[in-house]
Amino acid sequence: MYGGDEVSAMVIDLGSHTCKAGYAGEDAPKAVFPSVVGAIDQMEVDDTEKTENNSGSAVDSKNTVRTLDSEKAKGKRKLFVGSQALGFRRDHMEVLSPIKDGVVVDWDMVDNIWDHAFRECLLIDPKEHPMLLAEPSSNTQQQRERTAELMFEKYKVPALFLAKNAVLTSFASGRATSLVVDCGGGSTTVAPVHDGYVLQKAVASSAIGGEYLSDCLLKSLESKGIMIKPRFSFKRKETRPGEFQTVDMDFPNTTESYRLYSQRVISSDIKECVCRAPDTPYDESAYSNIPMTPYELPDGQTIEIGSDRFKIPDILFNPSLVQTIPGMDNFAEIAPSVRGLPQMVIDSINRCDVDIRRELFSSILLAGGTASMQQLKERLEKDLLEESPQAARVKVLASGNATERRFSVWIGGSILASLGSFQQMWFSKAEYEEHGASYIQRKCP
Amino acid sequence: MEAAVVDAGSRLLKAGPAIPDQAPAMIIPTQMKRMVEDGSMGDSSLCEDITVDPVVRGFIRDWDAMEDLLNHVLYTGLGWEIGNEGQILFTDPLSTPKSVREQLVQLMFETFNISGFYASEQAVLSLYAVGRISGCSVDIGHGKIDIAPVIEGAVQHIASRRFEIGGIDLTKLLAQELGKSNPLVNFSMSDIEKIKEQYSRCAEDELAYSKTKNSCHIEKHTLPDGQVITIGRERYTVGEALFQPSLLGLDAHGIVEQLVRSISTVSSDNHRQLLENTVLCGGTASMPGFEERFQKEAGLCSSAIRPALVKPPEYMPENLTMYSAWVGGAILAKVVFPQNQHVTKADYDETGPSIVHRKCF
Repeated sequence: MYGGDEVSAMVIDLGSHTCKAGYAGEDAPKAVFPSVVGAIDQMEVDDTEKTENNSGSAVDSKNTVRTLDSEKAKGKRKLFVGSQALGFRRDHMEVLSPIKDGVVVDWDMVDNIWDHAFRECLLIDPKEHPMLLAEPSSNTQQQRERTAELMFEKYKVPALFLAKNAVLTSFASGRATSLVVDCGGGSTTVAPVHDGYVLQKAVASSAIGGEYLSDCLLKSLESKGIMIKPRFSFKRKETRPGEFQTVDMDFPNTTESYRLYSQRVISSDIKECVCRAPDTPYDESAYSNIPMTPYELPDGQTIEIGSDRFKIPDILFNPSLVQTIPGMDNFAEIAPSVRGLPQMVIDSINRCDVDIRRELFSSILLAGGTASMQQLKERLEKDLLEESPQAARVKVLASGNATERRFSVWIGGSILASLGSFQQMWFSKAEYEEHGASYIQRKCP
Repeated sequence: MEAAVVDAGSRLLKAGPAIPDQAPAMIIPTQMKRMVEDGSMGDSSLCEDITVDPVVRGFIRDWDAMEDLLNHVLYTGLGWEIGNEGQILFTDPLSTPKSVREQLVQLMFETFNISGFYASEQAVLSLYAVGRISGCSVDIGHGKIDIAPVIEGAVQHIASRRFEIGGIDLTKLLAQELGKSNPLVNFSMSDIEKIKEQYSRCAEDELAYSKTKNSCHIEKHTLPDGQVITIGRERYTVGEALFQPSLLGLDAHGIVEQLVRSISTVSSDNHRQLLENTVLCGGTASMPGFEERFQKEAGLCSSAIRPALVKPPEYMPENLTMYSAWVGGAILAKVVFPQNQHVTKADYDETGPSIVHRKCF
């Protein structure tokens, strides 16, 4: 039990694409940054180059010489976290994600990400604030114990709580029972919540998320001959007063992963600006003559996007479309087993008890960054109406504000952590020391 | 009685009654000298005594020193009388932790017994000073650089960036460079500060900067203790460091590139409005040649929409960049206090310091 007079809890949502962190009680997270890190393997690079690097605070350079038993020894590795540090191109810097398929594989990176959020973005001392962490709806016991261990041992937080993403989204909209469709950056998860508890057997997830769609857009544009130049690869020169010319710069030591990361940043911006979910399933012939929308790239090049505007969002509903994009064939093997969004919703509801199915159908919540795509809600409602049983009343709800949809998990956490009745539910440090990390299963169901 | 506006920077504290179209009545150094019995304020430059910096990198760290400083400012400088304290508006830098704000409110109400309090973010105030409510403020101060996009008076925290480099790091760089070219001379930091203010400039562009390596106009300067030093290329190095942070040893882009990248995370409907209303503020930004260089670099940045600087209104005093946050605070004070939107003593007594988060944003 943890109760303080002035409980100023912090809410952290480490997603597969972005990490959101901030104070509980506020209506938006203060710190939002990519949840990938740049890593330079010290042994690869010449020593002279790296020793010159002072650690200014614009760069989070932590020499991680840890010898955690369960990690494979990576030797000396410098990690760079945060949008400022990642935005700067460095030789041999690989962009790595700590999360694979929803499971944390590299705790070192997670540690660095949290540290960046606390010490550089929010400027707080974790010892003084209870932490509410959002976790994926299908998190394993081992992962939760590891999280608790890391938080209590390293950051010495006074109290901790782990809440499932779907439950938090449900709270953010004020419902105790709903079906949460979380279209995030790395994956899409459909999870039914009943009276504040996730029904584990009915949780469905697919690897098609916002990042996947950005990659598809990138490959599709490449196949049409449009090369997206990452921000670091060009420079403007003034040839004559008032006239500018773009000059390509070559950096041979840039890793492929960094190049892809920079291109993805641009293509996801294109996706957010121009893509719309089509009202009917995508048909190549129907969309071949639509007017093109212009978009100006950072290097000054203006590109026209036509049918891709509708094709890319339709991948969510019809994953086999991916096979029509040249360059994405390596993803074709996951396509047959992956179902579209409406099918996932129906499957998930069918795995629940008959009694609650009606309630679930009438409160389907959309959350996540990808869910802020225009017309997505209408299209999903339409598709579900066709496939659902006759008697069911289908209603898809999504908050009107794009920011609220994107951060709905975080907002739910903010609401939960500032409730008076929640204060007795924290898993406190004293309890951790007495019962150990496995107690978390009892305290945070 | 006019409300008082206080902008406590890492180097200079600007304070005065809220009269918007004038410079602040008091601009004094924040740095203090510790005397033997108790802390006291020294206006002059410091020698080997223990110097105390109440404000570090924009945030108040030493509360006792701050209390003494505010004592001097409010009672001696602004002419307040004990028992008849007025209302006060403070400015906060970006990403101020909640606890710092609460402590400030507590200090003001409990120790100074003021009747009304308000706090606002410096980025928003700098925009008010030039007559805008949306735009991007680039605040290059002594202890930190804040880049904050503001839309309709609300700072977009997700896109704003704070760098812990500022005038103080430029001073250190200058000391380093001067030490290399004048190896026999002993400097003190305060001398270097003065030299920096007097001589530093920004080169017109990167090419001009690299030309100074070969040939540069050399000047002689006499230090207060009689030593003579030569200053050549170092004056341009200081200005260049803001556009090429590699001179400071940092892995980062120049200031215009950082601005453009942080704006790119905001939704693109607002890009034009933000970039075309960019405001430069802060002491370091008033370096000669900085604005021109900024505009030149703006043409070369990796963005389709080029940043454009806002011209301050004519009725504003010269040198607005040095204290635009204070002027904005004066404007805001004239709106907030008469309309009773501030935190009153009664509110504070009822709710405690956390009221500041609800009433002031």
